Amino acid sequence: MRNSLSRLPSVFVMFAACACAAAHAAVETVVGNPAPAFELPVFGSESRHVALESLRGKVVLLDFWASWCGPCRESFPLYDKLRGELPAQDFALLAINLDEMADGPAAFLYEHPVGYTSLADPAGDVARKFGLIGMPTSFVIDRDGIVRSRHTGFKPQDIDTVRGEIRELIAGSTAGRQADAH
Amino acid sequence: MRIRVGAAVRLVLVCAALLGGCATTPVQPWERGRLARWDMRWDPDPLQTAMREHTHFSKEGTNGEIGAAGGGCGCN
Repeated sequence: MRNSLSRLPSVFVMFAACACAAAHAAVETVVGNPAPAFELPVFGSESRHVALESLRGKVVLLDFWASWCGPCRESFPLYDKLRGELPAQDFALLAINLDEMADGPAAFLYEHPVGYTSLADPAGDVARKFGLIGMPTSFVIDRDGIVRSRHTGFKPQDIDTVRGEIRELIAGSTAGRQADAH
Repeated sequence: MRIRVGAAVRLVLVCAALLGGCATTPVQPWERGRLARWDMRWDPDPLQTAMREHTHFSKEGTNGEIGAAGGGCGCN
């Protein structure tokens, strides 16, 4: 009895380690793999739908946000500026709103107007496919539809990292296409 | 021995029923909209709370309900 009791802590640690490994694996499966396909209505214009597939050939920054999320207020103007800096034929910024009710994001977009499209995913189906663990979360997706990186949370200085990754992908794939053409 | 097995089975069933009450579906990151509302905070209006506590402390300070006991003179 005493012997089995002494094994309890090690069994507990083993279970905890397995649980952590499983959670980590679930989070990391998206990066390095093809982005899960989706088609969602445009927020505020439900008759229009946008599919991720329609942006194939461009580097895509996919940003999941909600009106109650504090860091999203900081990210919006910086992402909008980033969109203006990069060529539209190489880069697209797509936002997905995850609010359960539409009044919050409508007020948010009125306060923080941006030039890029927000899609609506009130049930969180696409968020579940991408395995979100925090808000906001953004993904950098390359021209072939492969998820190259994930950014959970947002601080203003993160925009430099995101910009660098996107520029690198645009430059790399443009060089590759030019090499193919020759 | 048969009684002990029966008791163990009953104990397991009771424990399972009790632990079942702890079962919960984790709240996903995108489902925290209601939890993030200001009226869901422990202290939704800090200014109002401070004023109420000041009044309460001034009038009921002798019983030491909020912080240290005082004279109840209303002079704080």
